[in-house]
Amino acid sequence: MNRFDLSAHYPGFTLAAAARWQEPCVALFGPSGSGKSTIVEAIAGLRPEVRGEVRIGGERLDHLPPRRRRLGWVPQDAALFPHRSVARNIAYAANRAADPGLMRRVTDALELGPLLERRPHQLSGGERQRVALARALVREPRTLLLDEPLAAIDRPLRTRLVPFLRRIQAEFAVPMVIVSHDPLEVIALARWVVVLADGRVVAQGEPRTVLQAPEAFGSLLGLAAENVFEVAAFEPPVHGIAHARTREGLQLALLVVPGQPAPRRVAVRAEDIVVATEVPRGVSAQNVLAGTVARAEATEGQVAVTVAVGTARFVIRVTEGAAGQLGLGPGKAVHLMFKAHAVLGVE
Amino acid sequence: MDAAEVLDITLRTLQVGVLAVAAILVPGIAVGWLLARRAFRGRALLQTVLCLPMVLPPVAVGLLLLHLLARGSVLGDAIERAFGGPILLTPWAAVVAAAVMSFPLVVLGAQQGFLAVPRRLEQVAATLGASAWRVFCTVSLPLAARSIAHGALFAFARALGEFGATTLVAGHVPGRTETLSLAIYARIEQFEDRDALLLSAVSFVLALAITGTAELCLQRRAR
Repeated sequence: MNRFDLSAHYPGFTLAAAARWQEPCVALFGPSGSGKSTIVEAIAGLRPEVRGEVRIGGERLDHLPPRRRRLGWVPQDAALFPHRSVARNIAYAANRAADPGLMRRVTDALELGPLLERRPHQLSGGERQRVALARALVREPRTLLLDEPLAAIDRPLRTRLVPFLRRIQAEFAVPMVIVSHDPLEVIALARWVVVLADGRVVAQGEPRTVLQAPEAFGSLLGLAAENVFEVAAFEPPVHGIAHARTREGLQLALLVVPGQPAPRRVAVRAEDIVVATEVPRGVSAQNVLAGTVARAEATEGQVAVTVAVGTARFVIRVTEGAAGQLGLGPGKAVHLMFKAHAVLGVE
Repeated sequence: MDAAEVLDITLRTLQVGVLAVAAILVPGIAVGWLLARRAFRGRALLQTVLCLPMVLPPVAVGLLLLHLLARGSVLGDAIERAFGGPILLTPWAAVVAAAVMSFPLVVLGAQQGFLAVPRRLEQVAATLGASAWRVFCTVSLPLAARSIAHGALFAFARALGEFGATTLVAGHVPGRTETLSLAIYARIEQFEDRDALLLSAVSFVLALAITGTAELCLQRRAR
């Protein structure tokens, strides 16, 4: 059993949040300033001003200093030691590691072999996050605390890191607490979600149930526009590209890394989909689907367009100008395009 | 004035500078870290007192040291008992004067260095199981090293040129406490301008060589 019951007062912000969960991977979800990072830092023992109880794996930790909590904290900016090579960053916690082969397994799993001699300033955002993850894993933590692990990475690269996180879950069986303000990340990675707003827990439960009830959170999530489909059949990757056939009969190309378990669902973000009114030719996107506009609704300067592709329904977002220019009204024949790395395999 | 005498004065000056910086380096780093990383009562007062040698006339600091180290004072008597003789008018007094006058520069260099180390890195190290001492040795100190080295370099340069406090506590004993600055002053007083100019030129070359070499080393390290 894991739980936290924490409180703190800051100028203009009060934290009073409690949650409990048993699942191996929990997400703290909410908008910026909702208290997610404060909670995860308090769990790590880095917020002495936050009072209350923290239990991880049944053990009470709040009276212990950070170094005795054995938690693998990965902050948003990765916080790699700039004066150490990648190898020496990862080895920082290795002195006490009981398993001598652990460092090797971790660097293999996160594909860090070619980067070991580099310095942090020579790495990309995604590589830095993988190194930070490896460094935390070598500590053999009772739980990984990942604070917005994908936030510092450019959007196209984010989906490439998600499979690594899922591989870590599968291979090292280490529980995770993930801070995120991205519903798709939560669906992809977590089995339990704690939704925060203004320093309070406003909901918690199984991610799909909680996050697909936007009426519970008003405009906080805007999740109705996300496209999630059940996978009926999965073709393992060839040259990194796998194919998933959904229950609705859609054939979708997606990127996976070896070792990643076959996804049960696939998800595509509304804003990652490009729409064309004519048959696109010579495009690099791996996924091109023909459909018909079922509905178009204007909200806050954007138009949410529902497109029927067979029995499947996609929601895409375009600007009002683009919707008018393309004449995206009900019955309009369109083609949807999105890259393979815009398709996220979800547990 | 022959070459042997110039060499003797130069070596003594270097010795005083090296010993002074060696004596204040560790305490300077410790105080710098304390000021950068710990909140405690009297912190502002400590910072002010530490800066005094830079603000006060060196002669005033020398006068204070003279009273502190003189025979009959608590410290002066304790030193005399421990080392079997008074410290005043010895080369060690020159080292003490140079150390006191240079101390703020080491502290400020260290303090600025530690302030520039992101707290987040120290926090990560702690969550990775490192003790406070290990965090200091493996994260804070290496990342502040450049700034500390700069502080130490300025302290060394300050120690080489120290005059006001040194002349009061070490006096001017040729062949024993005479450093470059004391020797230049003595030659001017005796109207030996040629020798004074020669010693000034040695000081100039020495300063240029030391600071230039150190700066080059630090820049190479930064790259």
